[in-house]
Amino acid sequence: MNAYYDEVQELKAQYPDWRSAALPALRLAQERHGYLSADALRECADALGTTPAFCEAVASFYDMFHLRPVGRRLVEVCTNVSCALAGAQQVLEALEHELGVAAGGTTDDGEITLRTVECLGGCGWATIVALDHTYRTHVGPDDVPAIVEEIRGG
Amino acid sequence: MAEARQIVFADAAERDLTKLAEYEAVGGYAMLEKARAMTPQAVIEEVVASELRGRGGAFFPTGRKWSFVPKPEQNPNPHYLLVNADESEPGSFKDNEIMARVPHRLIEGCLITAHAVESTHVFIYIRGEYTGPYRVLVAALEELHERPDLRGDVTIVLHRGAGAYICGEETALLESLEGKRGQPRTKPPFPAIAGLYASPTVVNNVETIATVPQVLAMGGAEYAKLGVPDSRGTRVVSISGHVARPGNYEIENGVSLRSLIDDLGGGVPDGHALKAVIPGGSSTVILRADEIDVGYDFNSLLKLNTAMGSAGVVAIDERCCMVQLGIRVSEFYEHESCGKCTPCREGTRWTTAILRRLEGGTATQGDLDLLLDVCDRINGKCLCPLGETAAIAIASYVDKFPGEFQAHIDEGGCPFGDSSPLHDVLAPVAQHAHHPSATVPA
Amino acid sequence: MSTELVTLTIDGNTVQVPKGTGLVEAALAAGIEIPVFCYEPRLGPPVGACRMCLCEITPGPPKPQAACTLTVQDGMTVRTALTSPLAREAQNATLEFILVNHPLDCPVCDKGGECPLQDLTFRYGPGNTRMTFPKRTFDKPIPISPLIALDRERCILCYRCTRFSESVAEDGQLIARNRGSLSQIATFEDEPYRAHFTGNVIELCPVGALTSTQYRFEGRPWEIQNVPTVCGMCPVGCNVNATTREGKVKRIISRNHHDVDRGWLCDKGRFAFSHLRAGDRLTDPLLRVRRRGFEEVSWDRALDEAERLLREAEGRIVTCLSGSETVEQAHALAKLLRGGLGSHGAVLPEEVSDALDAFRVPLSAIAEADVVTVLGDAPVVERAPIVELWIKEARRRGARVLYELDEDAVRSAERAILVWSGPLGQGGARVAALARTLGARGAFYLPETANGRGVCDAWAAAADDEPTPPDPVGLLFVSGDEAAANPAVRALAEGAERVIAVSMFQGLAAGWADLILPGTSYLERDGTYVNLEGRIQRLRRVVIPPAPDELAWIAKLAERFGVALSPYPSAVFDEVSATAFGGLPFGEVGEFAPLPHAGGVETTEIEPLPETATDGGLRLVRYRALFSGPAVERVPELQFQRALPEIQLAESDAHARGIRNGAQVSVRSSGTSVSLRARLARDLRPGVARIAEEHAGDLQPSVEVAPA
Repeated sequence: MNAYYDEVQELKAQYPDWRSAALPALRLAQERHGYLSADALRECADALGTTPAFCEAVASFYDMFHLRPVGRRLVEVCTNVSCALAGAQQVLEALEHELGVAAGGTTDDGEITLRTVECLGGCGWATIVALDHTYRTHVGPDDVPAIVEEIRGG
Repeated sequence: MAEARQIVFADAAERDLTKLAEYEAVGGYAMLEKARAMTPQAVIEEVVASELRGRGGAFFPTGRKWSFVPKPEQNPNPHYLLVNADESEPGSFKDNEIMARVPHRLIEGCLITAHAVESTHVFIYIRGEYTGPYRVLVAALEELHERPDLRGDVTIVLHRGAGAYICGEETALLESLEGKRGQPRTKPPFPAIAGLYASPTVVNNVETIATVPQVLAMGGAEYAKLGVPDSRGTRVVSISGHVARPGNYEIENGVSLRSLIDDLGGGVPDGHALKAVIPGGSSTVILRADEIDVGYDFNSLLKLNTAMGSAGVVAIDERCCMVQLGIRVSEFYEHESCGKCTPCREGTRWTTAILRRLEGGTATQGDLDLLLDVCDRINGKCLCPLGETAAIAIASYVDKFPGEFQAHIDEGGCPFGDSSPLHDVLAPVAQHAHHPSATVPA
Repeated sequence: MSTELVTLTIDGNTVQVPKGTGLVEAALAAGIEIPVFCYEPRLGPPVGACRMCLCEITPGPPKPQAACTLTVQDGMTVRTALTSPLAREAQNATLEFILVNHPLDCPVCDKGGECPLQDLTFRYGPGNTRMTFPKRTFDKPIPISPLIALDRERCILCYRCTRFSESVAEDGQLIARNRGSLSQIATFEDEPYRAHFTGNVIELCPVGALTSTQYRFEGRPWEIQNVPTVCGMCPVGCNVNATTREGKVKRIISRNHHDVDRGWLCDKGRFAFSHLRAGDRLTDPLLRVRRRGFEEVSWDRALDEAERLLREAEGRIVTCLSGSETVEQAHALAKLLRGGLGSHGAVLPEEVSDALDAFRVPLSAIAEADVVTVLGDAPVVERAPIVELWIKEARRRGARVLYELDEDAVRSAERAILVWSGPLGQGGARVAALARTLGARGAFYLPETANGRGVCDAWAAAADDEPTPPDPVGLLFVSGDEAAANPAVRALAEGAERVIAVSMFQGLAAGWADLILPGTSYLERDGTYVNLEGRIQRLRRVVIPPAPDELAWIAKLAERFGVALSPYPSAVFDEVSATAFGGLPFGEVGEFAPLPHAGGVETTEIEPLPETATDGGLRLVRYRALFSGPAVERVPELQFQRALPEIQLAESDAHARGIRNGAQVSVRSSGTSVSLRARLARDLRPGVARIAEEHAGDLQPSVEVAPA
């Protein structure tokens, strides 16, 4: 679509070298397509002026780019040291139970993907749960039902 | 304990310094004007005099780093300032709060630094997950855009990362900003000579840059009166783990680590006892509870073979198993290893496997020796510090808690079991075994 | 590199090398090996990834450093594994880590016996394993193309292959994906790795991760023989080693001529050899007996018939040469047909102008140029592939690469190189004239045939007269399959009374020849070729052909006409050399042939170029794709490399017509139209479009292009 192509040209113009627009262009493509499918990568490559292989090489390096389908909503639980010390594993298990999916997977209706992530940089406000990249702080297992209800509703 | 003088967070408790008007009301951007009236060399000298050192983890003298940038006659390429806002070290969350609460102080610091290193192009590379601070910075930059008198001829580009701890390493940061896979480069050449787009580039941590306006306000010499030798001034410390009041605290360098845990942090809650402290983020040598009567500064911690690193202090109580800690930390590095150099790529996977065997109770004495030997074989051989600090940290758990590791072998299992909060914690690197369709690793 | 010298110590030895020398090369100069995997200077700056080359270096940090990333400094002290326990331990550790996940495949791995990982493990590695965990596994092998198999378990992630794809061939197809120990080499969507130079990754790979499917399980290094020769597929003449086992060619690898090919080969030269054993290979002469029938005859009978045909047509013979004959073959034919029979005409593959001699430089001079100008509009990579790699190297080093003539740029440059790729080049006279006027350092003309220059020189050296072509043609002598496939030759054959053809394959000349003599491939001949630089290079017979060498039967025929001709290439060459090559003896055409000295300046009348189309259309340039021709057609694994139905457009022309890269377009010209896919090309000037000959149909020289 031309809108995406034009937007990427604008991104490229922000940098002294067009290649620097790769990450923002990939992020945009992921937002448009839901995840970085082969088509999304082709579209991104075309707009950047490079090959889909190059886009795949870059995208697959980073945790926030999904090269396989994910749910419409993303629930991420930090289980690194400080959050683990605060009981992150229990929060994760509560979410697995409440959502009915094992961490790493997507609910059957394709709506919600649950996964663990490494340190989100909120260690003093543990346990951190990121809902579509917005941090919820001080999350405990008791908070999980309300959180899930909120995600399902929104 | 009396609150240390707030420098990075000056006036932030009293006012909403995310607003440009509020920031200006307390003297914000006045130092930018002052700096612009000085020569770049004079600004650098002021920062040198302050003995300010990088707050990202490497602790390199800031003024000296700026002075490495070549003169235009020596090198005709444009200069770049790259602010490392890719904070991802487990235990550190100070830059998160700094960007969220004093964005204009950071921006003023960027503009002053740009003047000092003769750059008109600033990039702030912020980790992709930091949506909150990102939005704050976007708003602050929009306010700046309306003030060409402040902005001058400097362009500030806010660039978002996409989830890779290794991109916090300065050369990997450069690669990522250049649109590639974030794998570190060999040095030389150093970024100050050939960094972004092979041009002279200064890379500094968020907190370092955010300190600069106040350094100019107080004067370098005054700043250097705070703290202790080789660790001047104040810094923001992240305190987390088993403490009653986790959070970011700006302290004067040199105060005792114990005071951070007990006074600022409020001590270990719920009747538990302190067992261990990670002093500077997971990449540092761990300390036992009996070792924390030490000044929180470079020299004092060096005597204990450890470091302030990115100032992420994590308190661990007696319930926790050090082997489990080892697994979780090893899994972190395994997941975050960029894969470029052999020892880190293969070694972190191997240490995780050996630690799991220890935890599972089937390890032999030879396995423990092997673990230490593998760590030794990684250390000093890698392309960048990621693999090496992983090895150092893991080896320190064995070194500080030898009895515990031995017990896992002798007793054929973990003495702590699931009473330890670190028991069976699911890490991203283990996730695809946990769920068949889990994306690997993205 | 400067001539200033640097003195350092390596393992106690004092070494003096030019400033700027890398540490690995400096050690080599002292006879000391520093083991490496990822280090390969042809791929760009060192990356220091594998950590194999760790040495103890003072002054420096206390930990070992990657020697490949360092250049020599005065007073540097280097201690390698030879004298430093620290270095030895570090290198041992690297190998242990590599082997941790490396499968025990040696017994079934093609690389075994010529494997750097095996060799370095033997020299520097651990003797046994301490790894008692499951290794990481992948599906294997995966064909990343019909030519190359990928085994991800064996891969040690040295990134040589991806760096080649990105930084040498610049095809952007072979990548590393994922991160950490899950990193893997891949192509997008597992699509085939389809590009002109893919085979080089097989040689670059230090383990058996990237292997040739043609060579899979075909031989062990101790069972094979490598014959040094030169590729005869294009006018570059890359230096190769042809590997044989039991009298058959099994593979072709690079012999690395520093100035010609720098160790790279294109996929045609590398993978096209099985056509020597194609099912329709001619082994015996064929004589037409009825209107459409052929009969295999003995050589005696064939030569009798040839003699008869030649005598009948004496004075009215025209010879068509392919340009793939060796110098000796061409000269032998010339002596027989010109000298013995007064052959009155020749369709030569092309004229290559002597005016080029004044601007003779090696191909490596392209990489050192500050301005490279490519004229002629035909794609360089299809005509002389390796030249394209040299041009890319020049651009990476900072040269301006232009596809239109910018006289000021060339004039103000210090080391300008001009390249003519395409028709209307007047054999190089045009580009030589430009070089003279604009003060360029060197000029190249890219011929269409592998030995066009050598054949012309050899043909001319046989006699002095300037014969006039006869009409009608009594006998058309067609030498080689390239000539047989030429439509102009076919047209001549229609009008000729009789035709003798020399061909490798059945069916190519069957429709219109009276006598077909089996031909040979460059891999089956001893002799010389002259490449586009003007360099004389030596071909060596790799395998014995199923039919006699051409020199043998030409000599026999010549005998019948009283022409003295030796069947030995050395003797024939010496004859030609006297006139054409300054008396250079055959035995001195060396293994890595030097470039003969440049000659004097000659002036040639330059014809004006035809007017470009002014009707708004694009000028169509048809080109012969690299992956075409009788050899390629007979190699199944190369079919996927055939030219796609595409039209190459300059970016500005495409944008002006609203055409995006990869879009389907309609290409029209007075009455015909062809549907093709658009491919935006950066090596094309505005106003010109290119289509491979096989897809261009009846399109006229001026075309209109619009979205489909």
